[in-house]
Amino acid sequence: MVSTKLYAAIYVVLFVFATVQVVVEEIGLLEEAYWLAFGLIIALSLIKALFVAGYYQHLRYEPRSLTYLLLGGLLAALALTIASSYSVT
Amino acid sequence: MIGGGTLLGAPLIAAQTDIIPRGSRSAVFNQIYWVFLVLGTLVGVIVIGYMLYNAYKYRAGRAAGSERSAESGEGGPALGELPQGSGGGRKLALSFTLSAVIVISLILWTYGTLLYVESPPDAEESMEVEVIGFQFGWEFVYPNGNTTTGTLRVPTGERVRLRVTSRDVFHNFGIAELEAKADAIPGQYTDTWFIANESGTYQAQCYELCGAGHSYMNATVVAMEPAAFERWYANTTPANGTTNASPEDAATTTASTNHGAKADVAAAPGATAPRAAALETNAAEASAERSLAR
Amino acid sequence: MTHDDHPRDDGPGQAAADERTKPDDGSPRTDGGRATDGGHAGATGELPATGPAEEEHHGFPPMSSVKRWFVTTNHKDVGILYIVTSLLFLVFGGVLALLMRVQLWAPRAAGEGILSALAYNQSVSIHGLIMVFWFLSPFAFGFANYVVPLQIGAKDLAFPRLNALSYWLYLFSGLLLGISFFQGGSFAGGWTMYAPLNIPAYTPSIGASTAILALLLFVVSVTVSSVNFLTSMHRMRAEGLTLRKLPLFTWSILLTVWMMLFAFAALLAALMILSADRLAGTTYFAAADAGGSLLWTHLFWFFGHPEVYIVFFPALGVMAETFQTFTGRRLVGRKWFIASMLLVALQSFVVWMHHMFLTSINLQIKTLFMATTIGISLPFDLMVFSLIYTTIKGRIRFLTPFLFSFGALLLFIIGGITGVFLGAVVLDYEFRGTYWVVAHFHYVMVAGVTALIGGLYYWYPKITGKMYDEFLGKVHFALYFVGFNLLYFPMFVVWETPRRVFEYDPAFAPWHKVATVGGFVLGASFLVMFYNLYTSLWAGEDADSSPWAHSTTAEWAIPSPPPLENYPGIPSYGDGSLSFLDRLGGSDRAADGGEVTDGVDVAGDHATDGGVADDRRATDGGTVATADPATAVERAGGKSHEHDAGDHGEGHGPSHASIWPFAVSVGAFLTLLGLSGLQEGAFAPGLEGGLYMALTGVGFLVGMASLVAFGRERFHGLEGPFGESWPFEGIENTKTGVWIFLASDVVLFGAFIGSYVFMRVASGWTTWEIVPGDPLPGLMNTYLLLTSSFTVVLALVAAEKGSRGGVIASLLTTFLLGVGFLFNKGIEWDHLFHEGLWLDTNVQASTFFLTTGLHAGHVIAGLIVTLYLIVRAWQGAYLEDSGSIEYFGLYWHFVDIVWLFLFPLFYIL
Ligand code: HEM
Ligand SMILES: [Cu+2]
Ligand SMILES: [Cu+2]
Repeated sequence: MVSTKLYAAIYVVLFVFATVQVVVEEIGLLEEAYWLAFGLIIALSLIKALFVAGYYQHLRYEPRSLTYLLLGGLLAALALTIASSYSVT
Repeated sequence: MIGGGTLLGAPLIAAQTDIIPRGSRSAVFNQIYWVFLVLGTLVGVIVIGYMLYNAYKYRAGRAAGSERSAESGEGGPALGELPQGSGGGRKLALSFTLSAVIVISLILWTYGTLLYVESPPDAEESMEVEVIGFQFGWEFVYPNGNTTTGTLRVPTGERVRLRVTSRDVFHNFGIAELEAKADAIPGQYTDTWFIANESGTYQAQCYELCGAGHSYMNATVVAMEPAAFERWYANTTPANGTTNASPEDAATTTASTNHGAKADVAAAPGATAPRAAALETNAAEASAERSLAR
Repeated sequence: MTHDDHPRDDGPGQAAADERTKPDDGSPRTDGGRATDGGHAGATGELPATGPAEEEHHGFPPMSSVKRWFVTTNHKDVGILYIVTSLLFLVFGGVLALLMRVQLWAPRAAGEGILSALAYNQSVSIHGLIMVFWFLSPFAFGFANYVVPLQIGAKDLAFPRLNALSYWLYLFSGLLLGISFFQGGSFAGGWTMYAPLNIPAYTPSIGASTAILALLLFVVSVTVSSVNFLTSMHRMRAEGLTLRKLPLFTWSILLTVWMMLFAFAALLAALMILSADRLAGTTYFAAADAGGSLLWTHLFWFFGHPEVYIVFFPALGVMAETFQTFTGRRLVGRKWFIASMLLVALQSFVVWMHHMFLTSINLQIKTLFMATTIGISLPFDLMVFSLIYTTIKGRIRFLTPFLFSFGALLLFIIGGITGVFLGAVVLDYEFRGTYWVVAHFHYVMVAGVTALIGGLYYWYPKITGKMYDEFLGKVHFALYFVGFNLLYFPMFVVWETPRRVFEYDPAFAPWHKVATVGGFVLGASFLVMFYNLYTSLWAGEDADSSPWAHSTTAEWAIPSPPPLENYPGIPSYGDGSLSFLDRLGGSDRAADGGEVTDGVDVAGDHATDGGVADDRRATDGGTVATADPATAVERAGGKSHEHDAGDHGEGHGPSHASIWPFAVSVGAFLTLLGLSGLQEGAFAPGLEGGLYMALTGVGFLVGMASLVAFGRERFHGLEGPFGESWPFEGIENTKTGVWIFLASDVVLFGAFIGSYVFMRVASGWTTWEIVPGDPLPGLMNTYLLLTSSFTVVLALVAAEKGSRGGVIASLLTTFLLGVGFLFNKGIEWDHLFHEGLWLDTNVQASTFFLTTGLHAGHVIAGLIVTLYLIVRAWQGAYLEDSGSIEYFGLYWHFVDIVWLFLFPLFYIL
């Protein structure tokens, strides 16, 4: 399937991204521009998640139906989160 | 998104101002309710009638052992076939479209009224009362800070705005005859309004299960002529609440402090007492239960 | 026989007849399973528990034996168990309803009438809960269990033991609910369980906690069941049964289960939070400032609206089937009917706020949800018309099943029209909390019940092999229909009665009296049914394979009741209609133990299950019947065997018995019963508290031990595909199951995170104070978890390379990293506790501890599995078949991904 090297490379990327997330906080970006920092940190999490799902769970190499299955769950959760939060604004 | 609804409704209202029911809550409700009721009954009768007519018309004969002979009917579904449908799609599409048109236009029509009901009236022309639910009664706070329990006094012919909340659990404040209703949610405020056109007393009730006393979580709404109301209101002060209330609510006030038990203006205080007492027992039971359980 | 001349019919029919005369030696023709199992035979040998279970396997007790019902995993048995149990709950819920109706005979002052105020509230609440959860859905799923595998042409569900587990969890959850009445009173906050009435400050009895935990257990049962059904229905359909061609009942169940998977996950989240509030002292729902009670309404109705369709869809399916059968016509607009159901199933997740129009949600969102709500009502119009048009030009036979279905349609029309009233927000403002709502939802839901009762009469001959008494059936219907309308129609007339009260305007009393009378008539009608169905078991005429003309689906092509393994061959619709394929000539399939064709030889080899002791007729040498070489190869590759809970039997033919589902459920039952005694995270001192604590401990031990035994048991399930398996072709059953489960777990965590986001938005996002002051422990844990994910990947790589040492080393590292994660978390929490932060300090602390706690729970579960894997790997497993490691990895990576979001959300932002 995928070589161990690639797995290891991804591991390094994940490690670095996690560190960057904390660095973003440490340099005080959150205080300066909260929503920018927010977007950055969440985006990093998303990318990490995609790597884990795509390679470690090898979704990339599986039938697409599995991806859609999970996206379905994610969509339901997002609908709940976004609509409920929006309803009280 | 924001205002999408308003965008949708605004031209509608502009174009059909006359069609959109407005007025007091009860007037609005009644108009819409009756249109729905008549149309709903009509549709129901037609559809169910048609259904029964077909059922009668296409009944199989009473031939004995009909299960045996039924199979010989030409072309019906047969055992082991792959499921398939039969024709008739056009008719289906037609009746579907028709029903969709009816339903959607009805709802759009009421949407105009929803926008009207939801548009907050001018602060000038209306009084705002804060309604606070608690187990098991209602407290009312008037703009001047005057606070009463169990009785809400309002002037007739005027919009009264309610800002409803709760001190403990989820309740719902509703005045059936005036068609006003709002959830009373701890930590949240919900708004509603009503107009009482006739002077007199109305009953307010709790419409959300809130514990042992829920069935009796009532309050009285007294609608008074504006002049009488003004007189009464001018005499109230934030500090001493209802002390200056007109004599006939003295009974009400006493009864309703008993955990807001049914405060029936007509009934003598004596008559309400047993009920209130029974409720107290229930509440006591509930708290005793907790300590027992531990 | 009605269809003696029917070519497809006489095979199995004859077979059954022949079989009855044959002596039964109880021995399988071939076994070989044990021989080929060498891989882990040693492992199994160590565990005495599997010994007896293995014996059962070949001497499956007959239906007359009580033992059979405790060990059975066969879908038909489980179906019967579901049906019977759900009917018991109908009686339970019905008695509560009648008690309420008696109380409502006249307006009552407090203390008057047969029920006290609290007793009334308990009755309303538990009646609602029982009818919706413990009666309606399980009743429908009794049929689903029995009929769906038959309709898709499978011998059983994909995970038979999980199916039995679902049943036992269901039963025990019901028992738990019953017990709650004896623990100082059951839950009294309504079936909607609104917050904050649902927390101990307002509903303090222990029984109230038990009721919540009972529902929690029920939800677990539903989740297990959903995963099982989805895997089976997608992966194990007969050739030619593409989704488009599925029978309508099966279609309705398929969509129901999809909705269940996601909706019940949201309910699970809600109930977990509620349980934490009740037992551990978190303060989600008490948090008025942060919108705690609104949060509950969101979570509950996000589940609750799909639930409306979850209980109704199976009924629609029954209606569609019976309308076709008894009118002798195929459904008009079948394609559109299916499309409508599909649309409703999707849309049901975006209408929930129509239950909240009177809360403080804003106008924009009200408008949006008003629109989606009208939208969702329209497909139902189409379905109703489709059913009505189906009767045209038919030859309608008004037999009992059809009477009920027809009546159901009529009632549903009334329910639907009155529902449109509620969709008009202005009207809803006034109807909310009144008997209009009560009448409306009873017309809808009990219409569903009506159709399902039609289903009960419809399938009764199939299930029992006996005909019910038609006259009594009609009497039942007449009483039922009259009683129903007497009961519920008056509620529309006096709709201004507030809901859940027993004191109302005396002017309404006459109508309430009529309703009460109607309630008793309705109740009496069920006595007729029970009498009829019970006596027919002995006295009924024998039913042949299809007592109904124009029935089409596969269950009618085999004897009534069907043999244990359902079909005399491999069912196939490959040539356009149902046929049973024989084996296609001998081959050496025996060696690889594929389950595809086993259990089937020639028709004559099959026993009907009517009490015959033996069922296992494994035959050798069946060949792959499907022509798909790719799947055949995959199967031969040894990847497709039973992976149930990590053990891979290679014997022939499916097993049918396991006691472990029952045992696991007993463990869960005791544990939850014990936990109900918790308050604020501690058991009360003294004898009672000690008792609860002991129960928890015992239950936990029983549960864990049974789970291990469950895992080690050699149980041979079925592996598809047998034909159609869209859209999961080429993904083994277990893997499909794991993914489906993970999808529901996404919703579970999604709802937890959503709750956090909601609370935070409600109380001001940026003013919210983050609980852990220091992100470094979180970062450390991120590193640990990421690394552990990496080592699981390495374990899989090692397994594929055949390196036993590599597998063990990687798994061990994973385990240690996981323990490190927990340890680190422990230190961090300890720290926070010492700073004076506890679960109940504030919402911030509650959300932090609970959400990351749920995640930690997932980690712990993962570590237990890791331990198990390590032991098995030590014994040399997984080198040929690394499936279990792969599936565990999917789970573990998922837990990792969740942390990737929890970390920034709770530590940084
Ligand atoms: C068989 C299917 C039935 C279902 C699915 C069902 C469902 C429900 C539900 C969900 C509630 C709401 C409970 C709550 O508000 O917490 C309810 C309330 C109620 N049901 Fe049923 N029910 C069924 C049958 C019956 C029967 C047969 C009767 C009468 C004999 C009945 C009488 C009542 C009454 C009196 C209430 C209380 C209404 C209120 O005060 O809000 N139900 N039912
Ligand atoms: Cu209440
Ligand atoms: Cu709904």
